[in-house]
Amino acid sequence: MWLFGQLRWYFRLQWRRYSIAMVLLSLVALLNLLPPWISGRVVDAVAAGTLSMDQLLRQLALILLVAAFVYVFRYLWRLSLYSASYQLGALLRRRFYEHLLRQPPAFFQRHKTGDLMARATSDVNAVEMFAGEAMLAMFDGVLTGVVVLCVLLFGIDWRLTLVALLPWPLMAYWFWRINTELHAGFVSAQEQFSVLNDRAQESITGIRMVKAYGLEQRAIASFDAAALAASDANMRVARSEAKYDPVIFLTVGSSFLLAIACGAWLIHRGELSVGQLTSFTLYLGFLIWPMFAYGWLLNLLERGVVAYRRLNEVMETAPDIADTGTWNIAPDATLHWDVREFRYPGHEQIVLANFTGRLQSGHSLGIVGATGSGKSTFVRLLLRQYEHPQAHFRFDDIPLRELKLESLRRHIVVVPQESFLFSTTIAANIALGNPDATPDAIAQAARLANVHDDILAFPDGYDTLVGEKGITLSGGQKQRLAIARALLMDAAILVLDDALSAVDVATEQQILQHLREARRARTTIIICHRLTAVEQADHIVVLSHGQPTEQGRHHALLAADGWYAQMYRYQQIEQAVEEGR
Amino acid sequence: MNSIAGTFPRLLRYTLEHRRTLVTAIILLLLATAADVAGPLLIKHFIDDYLMPNQWSVNGIALILLGYIGAALAAAWLGYRQSLLWNHIAQQVVRTLRHQIFSRVVSLPLKRFDYTPTGSLISRITNDTESVKELFVGVLGVYIQNIVRVVGIFIAMALLNWRLMLVCLLFVPAVILVMYCYRRLSTPVFQRARELLSDINARMNEMIQGVTVIQLFRQEQRFARQYAATAQDHFETRRRTMQMDALLLRPMVDLLHLSTLAGLLYLFGLNALDSAGELIEVGVIYAFLSYLGRFTEPLIEMTQRLNLFQQAIVSASRVFAWIDEQPEQMPAQNPAASSHGDIEFDGVRFSYDGVKPVLKDIRFRIAAGQFIGIVGHTGSGKSTIASLLMRFYSPQQGRILLDGQDLAQLSQQALRARFAIVQQDSFVLAASVADNIDIGRGLSRADIEAASKAVGLHVHVQKLPQGYDTVLDEKGQSLSVGQRQLLSLARAMAGKPQVLVLDEATANVDSETEALVQQSLLKLKGSITLIVIAHRLSTITQADRILVMHQGEIMQQGSHRMLLAEEGLYRHLHELQTTQVVEVGG
Repeated sequence: MWLFGQLRWYFRLQWRRYSIAMVLLSLVALLNLLPPWISGRVVDAVAAGTLSMDQLLRQLALILLVAAFVYVFRYLWRLSLYSASYQLGALLRRRFYEHLLRQPPAFFQRHKTGDLMARATSDVNAVEMFAGEAMLAMFDGVLTGVVVLCVLLFGIDWRLTLVALLPWPLMAYWFWRINTELHAGFVSAQEQFSVLNDRAQESITGIRMVKAYGLEQRAIASFDAAALAASDANMRVARSEAKYDPVIFLTVGSSFLLAIACGAWLIHRGELSVGQLTSFTLYLGFLIWPMFAYGWLLNLLERGVVAYRRLNEVMETAPDIADTGTWNIAPDATLHWDVREFRYPGHEQIVLANFTGRLQSGHSLGIVGATGSGKSTFVRLLLRQYEHPQAHFRFDDIPLRELKLESLRRHIVVVPQESFLFSTTIAANIALGNPDATPDAIAQAARLANVHDDILAFPDGYDTLVGEKGITLSGGQKQRLAIARALLMDAAILVLDDALSAVDVATEQQILQHLREARRARTTIIICHRLTAVEQADHIVVLSHGQPTEQGRHHALLAADGWYAQMYRYQQIEQAVEEGR
Repeated sequence: MNSIAGTFPRLLRYTLEHRRTLVTAIILLLLATAADVAGPLLIKHFIDDYLMPNQWSVNGIALILLGYIGAALAAAWLGYRQSLLWNHIAQQVVRTLRHQIFSRVVSLPLKRFDYTPTGSLISRITNDTESVKELFVGVLGVYIQNIVRVVGIFIAMALLNWRLMLVCLLFVPAVILVMYCYRRLSTPVFQRARELLSDINARMNEMIQGVTVIQLFRQEQRFARQYAATAQDHFETRRRTMQMDALLLRPMVDLLHLSTLAGLLYLFGLNALDSAGELIEVGVIYAFLSYLGRFTEPLIEMTQRLNLFQQAIVSASRVFAWIDEQPEQMPAQNPAASSHGDIEFDGVRFSYDGVKPVLKDIRFRIAAGQFIGIVGHTGSGKSTIASLLMRFYSPQQGRILLDGQDLAQLSQQALRARFAIVQQDSFVLAASVADNIDIGRGLSRADIEAASKAVGLHVHVQKLPQGYDTVLDEKGQSLSVGQRQLLSLARAMAGKPQVLVLDEATANVDSETEALVQQSLLKLKGSITLIVIAHRLSTITQADRILVMHQGEIMQQGSHRMLLAEEGLYRHLHELQTTQVVEVGG
């Protein structure tokens, strides 16, 4: 019942559709009672020899009329009820989507994509089923059961009813049992199926090993074993499922037998007519659905509750970073930072410490250091993806948290390490932040990022699709597209977070040259591993284990002969090796 | 893609392997149907022969009672058994299909895997065969059972009264007509609903992957709007499918059902009014009314299963496409027994995609028992040499010779007996250490231990709780990374190969393990041809000869000492690896 309470808001929202469905279902349940009743009357009239043509035609016309009404009502209740439940599915999916859109990166580290997808698909489906099928099973199951029982008890004969209904509780019990068994069976079949998937995956991804050692037979044997287990699990499901028919058969059969036997005795005593007995047996058939409905309802309810909890788990996480600021950033604001200490939530290790500095508008800053030195953490803090009481960032005098997130994100544009492309056209990918950009502007950004010629070489130029349904780009092409995307934004601060790692040195230098020309009065922060990318920066910081160890301009740092200078020489040899020298 | 015309009969042929089960199932089905339709017949007799004339003969009634109970029990039991048999056949067929596609896939040449996404291939093996299972269980089984049931009911009806039966028979073409309309109207809408659903899921997935970018570029609202539009579109399309279901499926069949009922009653009443004809007994109408309720359900069920049929045929044709692929051609010829392990690359050219050359005219000779190191930067083509030696791929030009004989002529068995490879990622089976070394070759324990000792694994194994019988888990957690690499080496050596290829086997190991591997290599040096492809130069300093590769060509060759003496790529590589860039501050 918990779930009913949880979904009350929705039932209230859709009360019209649910009410219409219930009224129509009731009408159908009542109208459905007529045809068996009429059949009994006709049989009686024939048996008694009192039937007239007129009466026959009238009765038949009534049946056809009922049939037509039932048809229309059935169509209409389905329309109302399922519209309501489908609408809930669409609504939940949308809310889920919008909720995820507001979450910071830390959230996506806690929740794996597969898990979130499962919640957005099968859990939403389960809740939707609850709002549709389960409501139907509950309402119509009870209604049909009660209505038919009343007719049997009060309309025909209460003794006959009691006798004939003896086997029915057994059916309800069995339905419930089979349903539970089936559910368990499905779960294990699903597990075996994923084992099968794993086996296939193992061998296909490890196909070189399989071939090198001639392990084909072994792989096939282990796959066959998994296939056998899967088919056994499926057989278990089939065995449970196959029990439905005999259960219906035996209970309905024995109920009929009892009805005929008891009915015959009553007819013999003149207390019942043959027609009534005929109607009675026809009504008995109506009781199968309510018996089934209860077991089904329990099942749907159970699944719905689990699913709704899982959805709520995600929906109730408030974004870690609240958008509470009220200020905007001045276009020429100076960035100041003072990170005394930062560690990621739930981690002991300090990733950034004693890092203080400022960056004037229009200047360029280079941050270099080994992997794990805290370079990217600096960017995350700057973007307010993480916060820490010991890490302060401000633009002029305004701390980050007093700025509107929107303004912050308008001010800074980042090209991340892992550039993500959406499965749409190349043009749309470049125009991500500025969907109204003209083709010329897009092409200009692409030229600055040295990717224009690559794009023209694709089959449909800027309209070429990328991603799953389109072409696959090389790492360097992806990075350059991401740079073009960022350049189109023309933000006050551009951050290249190791965004040139997959392009060669010559291209890197060309892009940097373009950037210097196009962003003359703008601020640029370059974070990189390859030192050639920061040679021209106004200021370079070397980070080591989260602490700044060297600072200054390129030549000064070379002269100091520290890590920077050593790394520079090392990379010169690396470059030589790459070129085959 | 195969048409329905070809795929469906081919699927059906799979059932012929289970002819006996099939025959049993059909016999049980016929019996079950007979027992099933007998019930109303018996009640009819009771009503007409005993109840209506008020004849209460104990014997007769007892006989009918026994018959009824017997028929009900028989119908229930036979029905249950036969439905299991259909399932059994279906499961067997799917297992056969799975076996066929999987064993075909693993025997395909490696290049077949280069441009096939792993995910879609796995989906062929699992999801598509699953969908074929639905065809057998949900479509074929249901159709056969339901058709027999419907026919049985009509036969029973005809026995009672053929004119009334004809009225009911009208029901069948009416249902078929409705179903035809339903399929015509609903297929495109269902298709659209499925596409929209996968679009919705794709959008959700993509958003999760790219959420940071969306936030950085402040596009949350635009993405939310687009998603909402698709979700709404999906909702409306589903509503259309539901409307079609509601118009043409169950409510329609029920409408037809009630109309047939009216028809039956009409004929029945007409017959009673027209006293000239043969009187239809009350029992007959009772039996007809019970039958009428029994054949609508099977008809509805059959129409609802049609969608599955189409999906399954598409899936089956995709499965067959893989099964029909040509397996790798394996030459059967074995080389002369006296082989030593001389290797020669004779003008080998190779490219993975046919456009970008990876090896350009590679020529070198290795005498049996030599230790050769191959080094080079990423993309130099050094690992491709290992792939060609293991015959994962064939050179487009030139030959690779083993003892003067073209490698392409060697049988797979002979190749594997002579070559062994150790790759970058070690591979541990969930089995005992001994089994992991043996991997199904049936080696003696002595051979296994000898191989283990030869590579220096033995001492580590002795420290394990059950020695060589210790069962390892698949991720190999009971062994360190280095020990796992030694295990791979032992596995390779246990086959007593003439040529051992190490393909970046020391790329992921710590220097201690590297030292272990190096020691093992020194022990093996001279007794076996060693080709060691390495990123780390320290692994191959002891090699007789080192080939230095760059962009598919051999730039330099010679011993470590010689190469260090000359200005060039090797010396720079060496410098790179020996330079320690000090970490300050840390």
